[in-house]
Amino acid sequence: MKGFKTSRWTPVAAAGAALVLAALGDVEPAHAAPATYAADAAQSHLEFTGVQAGAEFKGVFHTFTAAIDFAPDALASSHFDVQIDMNSEDSMDKDRDKTIKSSDIFDVAHHPTAQYVTKSITKTASGYSAVGALTLRGVTKDVPIDFQFTPTADGAKLQGSAKLKRLDFGVGQGEWKSTESIGDAVKVTFSLLLKPKS
Amino acid sequence: MPIQAPRIRYTAIAQALHWIIAALIAVQFTLAWTADDLPLGMHKLALLARHKSFGMTVLMLAVLRLVWRLFNPAPPLPAGMTGIERFLARATHFAFYVLLFAMPLTGWLMSSAKNYSVSWFGLFTWPNLIGPNERSFQILKETHDLLSDVLFAIVILHVLAALKHHFWNKDDVLKRMLPFTNTE
Repeated sequence: MKGFKTSRWTPVAAAGAALVLAALGDVEPAHAAPATYAADAAQSHLEFTGVQAGAEFKGVFHTFTAAIDFAPDALASSHFDVQIDMNSEDSMDKDRDKTIKSSDIFDVAHHPTAQYVTKSITKTASGYSAVGALTLRGVTKDVPIDFQFTPTADGAKLQGSAKLKRLDFGVGQGEWKSTESIGDAVKVTFSLLLKPKS
Repeated sequence: MPIQAPRIRYTAIAQALHWIIAALIAVQFTLAWTADDLPLGMHKLALLARHKSFGMTVLMLAVLRLVWRLFNPAPPLPAGMTGIERFLARATHFAFYVLLFAMPLTGWLMSSAKNYSVSWFGLFTWPNLIGPNERSFQILKETHDLLSDVLFAIVILHVLAALKHHFWNKDDVLKRMLPFTNTE
């Protein structure tokens, strides 16, 4: 603060700061509400990584919707609701996709949609963390996710990941219950381009 | 490189590589034939995972073998072989070297094209050589199958020729590749 004349400016600065603090104190808790976004389907990706015969493989869900209410200063009322069309699963091999969608694995005939709804969102050192209920193949269980929220010129970017165990959701019946060739752990990553909902 | 006197026997390293690779090829055919008859399931995936691990092992051994062969020339063919016999022997051996690389490489490529990455006994994963593509996979699979037929045919030819040399010609062609034997 070179050249800052303490004696002359201190009262003014203090008064200004007091005003700002008063305004924040008054306004923020009462009126902060999360912004409402929807994921731009063309520029959003939802991917999973499993282990098959010792090697990782990736698949994507081409079709999903994400309703995101989020503001860094209103985490308590922030909320995600993601609906995934299980039929849109694509691991770039039709034989594997047919097997994955069959009754023993995703059973898309009976469970065409998976859903993730957050219960709570908290700030972490590197971003945010959410706990939400994942409903997959008719089984609902809490799954934590870690994510980053980056505002952009006309919306925001939401990127993150989750780890889950496929057998917790009954994904793998009969011979597919074995984890010898297909690992239990599955990583899910997502990158959503959020546009304000109008 | 200094000029060396021609060897009478294959070196111990050449013999070891020959018999280890021969055993792996026998295992490879057994695994592939068994897996071919199975529907896509856990058992098939496990068999093919082993097939891929052994195949990549063959590829690594083939590199060693080629390098060893370049620095340690094979013993000369027995005198008295006819021109056509010499040609057949050399062509068969050359084809083996080509196939020792072509079989694992087409296998690796077809796994890449199907987006089924190749693990080496679950210890590490080989990078995919090409991106997923249904059409490439079909072409590579047909190539891998066709080459396996060629390999099978020359294995039969090779075995019959070795037996003919041993029992008919009574020369040391078989013995010089056999460990624990003596050649005069």
